[in-house]
Order: sequence, then C-alpha cells, then structure tokens
Amino acid sequence: MAFAAAPQPLYSPSTAAGAASNNPHKRKKPAARGKGKGKGRLAKTPRRSDDPGDLPRRRSKPSDRFLKLLRKRARDYNSDEEERLSDEDEEEGASGSGDDEAAGAVTRFEQGCRAFRVAFTKIMAKKLPDDPLGPILSAHKKLVAAKLAEDAEEHKPKGEGRREKRMAAEKGHVIPTNHLDSKEKELIKIATQGVVRLFNSVSKAQNCRKGLNPSRSKDAKVLAKETKQAFLTELSKTSNQSQKGKASSNFSKNNSKDEDEPGWAPLRETYMLGSKLKDWDKMQTSDVVNEQTEIRLDDSSDEE
Amino acid sequence: MARVHHKNGRGGGGGGGGGKGKGKGKWKMPASVARKQQAAMANVDQVTGDKIPKSFVFSRGKLPTTLRHLQQDLRKVMLPYTALNLKEKKRNNLKDFVNVSGPLGVTHFFILTNPKSSPHLRMAKTPQGPTYTFQIKEYALAADIANSQKRPRCPPEIFKNSPLTVLSGFGGLGEPFKSLVEYFRHMTPAIDPVTVKLSTCQRILLIHFDREKEMINFRHYSIKLQPVGVTRKIRKLMQNNQVPDLRDLNDVSDYVTKAGYGSESEVDDEAATVSLASDVDKLNRASRKSAIRLQEIGPRMKLHLVKVEAGLCSGDVLYPQPVGKEGLGKKGKEVEEETEGQEDEDLMESDDDPEDESEE
Repeated sequence: MAFAAAPQPLYSPSTAAGAASNNPHKRKKPAARGKGKGKGRLAKTPRRSDDPGDLPRRRSKPSDRFLKLLRKRARDYNSDEEERLSDEDEEEGASGSGDDEAAGAVTRFEQGCRAFRVAFTKIMAKKLPDDPLGPILSAHKKLVAAKLAEDAEEHKPKGEGRREKRMAAEKGHVIPTNHLDSKEKELIKIATQGVVRLFNSVSKAQNCRKGLNPSRSKDAKVLAKETKQAFLTELSKTSNQSQKGKASSNFSKNNSKDEDEPGWAPLRETYMLGSKLKDWDKMQTSDVVNEQTEIRLDDSSDEE
Repeated sequence: MARVHHKNGRGGGGGGGGGKGKGKGKWKMPASVARKQQAAMANVDQVTGDKIPKSFVFSRGKLPTTLRHLQQDLRKVMLPYTALNLKEKKRNNLKDFVNVSGPLGVTHFFILTNPKSSPHLRMAKTPQGPTYTFQIKEYALAADIANSQKRPRCPPEIFKNSPLTVLSGFGGLGEPFKSLVEYFRHMTPAIDPVTVKLSTCQRILLIHFDREKEMINFRHYSIKLQPVGVTRKIRKLMQNNQVPDLRDLNDVSDYVTKAGYGSESEVDDEAATVSLASDVDKLNRASRKSAIRLQEIGPRMKLHLVKVEAGLCSGDVLYPQPVGKEGLGKKGKEVEEETEGQEDEDLMESDDDPEDESEE
C-alpha cells in the first residue's frame, strides 16, 4: 500500500516491529498482547489503573519513570487522534526509552498497536493518485518503476521486430479488391478469347467427322477422299511453312494427320515407340507435323 | 527422401492392370519389367499417346505462412499430374527431388523460395534444365480471391483435369521469352482437338506478358458454359433438379414467361459464344450456342523474369547476359552476383537487357 505517500511516521509499524524483534524479552509478549487487546477493546477506562498493577506482578520492577510513561501512553491511546502531533513527539521519547529492557515488550506492543492503527487509518483515508503503476509499497516503487521501464524498453523492439517480420512475410501479398478493375477484365477477355478459339477449333475438328460412319462404304469413301485431299494440302503447306520457319497453328490441319491412324493411341503403330525410332529417315517432315499438333493458343498475340 | 504421394493419370492404373491380366495366362512378366511398363504407361496419355508432363511444387528454405498457402494453391493449379501432398524435409536437397522425379516421370519443378524475404519462383525442367527464376512481385492466394468474390465457384471436379494454358503477349519476343513460351506450353498436357472431350476443359491458366512493365501475369480461371437464349429460370430449373416454387403464380406458364430479374443484365457478347461439338452436360448440348464465362479461382501472380539458367538451378546464366555489354565492370559484377535476392537497382539494370536483345 501507499506507505510512500504517508508522511513517514516515526512510529510506523515496521520500525516498531524491528525494535521488538531485537529484544530478547519478547517471549511473554503474546500473552500481554492478548490481554492488552482485550482490555483495549472491552474496557478502556479502567486501564489506567489496571495496567500498572498487572505489570509489577510479572516483571521484576518497572521504574517510576516508565510507569508514568505508560500511564500517559494509555491516556493518549484512549483519547482520539486529535493530538497526533504531540503524540509523535512523545512517541519519539518513548522509542528512546524503549531501550529499557524490562518493559520493552509491553511498550513496543502498545506503541506498535497504536501506531499501526494510526498508520492504517491514515493509509485507508488517503486518496490514491491515479498512478499507472497502481498502489505499490514505497520502497518498491522506484524499483518497480525502473523494472517496468526496462521491460517496456525490451518489449518495444520486440514488438517492432515482430511487425517487421510479418511485413516481410507478407511482402508481395496483395489482397484483391472486391470489384474487377479494367486490367482484370482485360485479362479475362484474353482468356475468354483463348477458350473460344479452342472450342471453335475443337468443334471444327470434331464436327466434320460427325455423321460419318467409317463402317459404311459410302462414308468410308468420303473419309478417304477427305484424308487424301487433306494430306495433299498438308504436303504443299509444310514446304511453305518450313521456308517460313514458323509453325502457325491450324487445328484443322491436325485432322489430316490423325485421319490415317486410329483415334486411340495404343492402336497406332507409333504408340510408345516415339517418332524418333520409326521414320527416322523422315525426321524433317515429322518434326514439322509434331510442331503443329501442339496447341498454340497464344496465336492471339502472334496474329494480332 | 521426399515422401511422394503421386496421383496417377487417368489411364495409368487401368492400363497396367490389363497388362498383368494377360500375362497371367501364358507367360508371366518379370516384376521389374511390369513395373517399368506400368510406369511408362502412367506417363503417357492413353488417347493421344503423348508424354504427360508431371510436376512437383515444393519450396527450398523456410517459407512464411502465406507463401506456403501459395505453394498449395500452385499444386492445385497443376493438378491432376502433380503431387498434392508432397512432403519435404529440411534435409531434402534438390538432388533428392531429381532422383525421385526420374522414376515417377516428373518433368517440371516449381520451386518457391524466399531469399531475403522477397518471394521467388523457379520454374525448371528436369533433369536437364533450363531454370527460369521469377521474382513474385505481387501475389494473391486462391482464398483471397474467393473472399473478394460474391459467389466464389470452385467445385472440386474441375481439378480432375489439367488446365488449358493460354499464352498471350509473347509473340515476337527475343530469346529468353521464346524458350519460356516453350516451357509454358509443355507445362500442361497438350490438347488434341480431335479427341478432346469438351467436358474436360474446365480450367484455364492464363499467362499474359505485359510488355510495358515486363511482367508476367499468372491467372487461373474456371470455365463455365451457359446456354444462350435460355432464361435464367429455365437454366436454374435444369441445374438444380428441384421442383420450383410456384406458390405465387397463377399458371405454370407464368413461370416460363415471367421475366426474371437480372437476366437481362447478363447480355452475352457475341465474342464469348461458341457452338459446341459434343454434349458437355445436360444444359450445354452439342450444336447449340453456349456462352463462356470465366471466373477466377486463383492464385494470382505477377512475375518478373530475373534469371535463366541452362541447367537445373545451376549452369550457365543465359539471361541476363552475365558479362554486361555496357562494358562497365562493376555493373557486370553486380549482375553476376545476384543469385537470389535481387536489389531493385539490379532489376532496373536487367530490365534494359531484353530490349537490347530484341532490337538486335
């Protein structure tokens, strides 16, 4: 509690206790305390007469001076705290006389008890300042403040470091906005174009086969004719393209190649052989054909 | 070693099973041969006979949480031919992944790194290279994009087929970009227009090169087909398979004739409509017009090409030119030194290089 703020009374409990502990005669103190307390609480007025009477029976011989002091103490005790200032002076004297070994225990107790009461009431009556540290014992106050300051100093860079670390971890992480901006729309448009291109080419490639059943002789003829034509056009075109050195994409051209062979890969002669082993002598042409089979969807950029 | 949980291709399991069944009757195939054949089958598309590109997406070094999410998102992009639950350990080095990639037929590596807390993405071909190192200038996770949308659409079925790749803006560019285009094109299985089923085209990967800023925009969309000329109510009726609420209507015909709200706002532009070759689903029948709608599913990335190496994360630096043409020794040194974490100044310098090349 805020002992610090209390005007450091001379008779503060700590000093009283300290004095008492120094005294080897405090053995009988508990009994005396019990009595004293009881009397103090129950009957205050008869105390003046009783106390001195009690004591001589136990102790060897309290001096007159001491008895007088005791009486005065008791009177002070019973009276209220109006004369606090005068008390303090007297208390000072008492602590001085407290060295008297015989009466030590009693005086200390009396003194301590009262002092404690005074101090306690004082403390309790005191208004606490709005200290961020909260109520702290005076002795500790400085220490605690220093420690807290140290902690804060330590924590500050730690928190900062953590934030920096997080920032570093999130580097480049951009959370997208809820609406699509023009750039994203443009990208979607490009992608859509690509998909449309693919789907169109697929339908072109697959539609021409539709409705034709190779098992029927009529359709088979048509197919054969188509393949032959496609093959011839393919031949004429490959030379063109090889001159250009650029394989432009044309999905319909792929038909001609596939028309000769069964659709399912394992049925083809070249399955898992790799064109390198077979047709090794026709490497040049097969390379060109292979290039064409690759899907080139990026031709949007090439052509535009 | 890295623990690998690899999803086999469509026909992989089936093809292998068939071979075994045959072998049981007359001649038993040695286990090693069978395994090899099965592995080879898994790496080849059963319809087109092309080799299927497969990928690993992993990270080197410690990544912050958001980047780890990005890694997972990238894995989802590369589905189904990728290891979705690839576990890596600190002691795994690149060699481990290369060793595993051979027998599994993994052809592409996507390596996320975070040197000096600036995220980088390396795209590499195994086992020979080349390696393209990008700085991720900006990125958004799939979750961020879903949060930004009113009705995010990401059904799990769309990840059963690999995405289509659309490249744009790369035309007529110089060397590093030419090979990069080749890389991107072979990143996902090629599509044979004769045999492809339209219902398998459900995702699209857009890689767009922004020439002005020299940035590569990486976008991932889902493809949705909507029949043209069908009112919203009919569409919903077909899609939901539920009896509609007719309480407020006097007649059944009202349900069809009454104009729905908002349907007019979705006016289809002609450019986005296609006539389908085959039935895609119940609504989108063959030889009927359908509109293509794309919705972003993320992740979103803005990449800047920083470096090209000839080998797998090693070898000669092809881009930027290691010895500066400018003749400034100091500058050249700086370019050589930039291994991973690049300063902005260096980036500015390397920005100049491709222009020079294209002009020459």
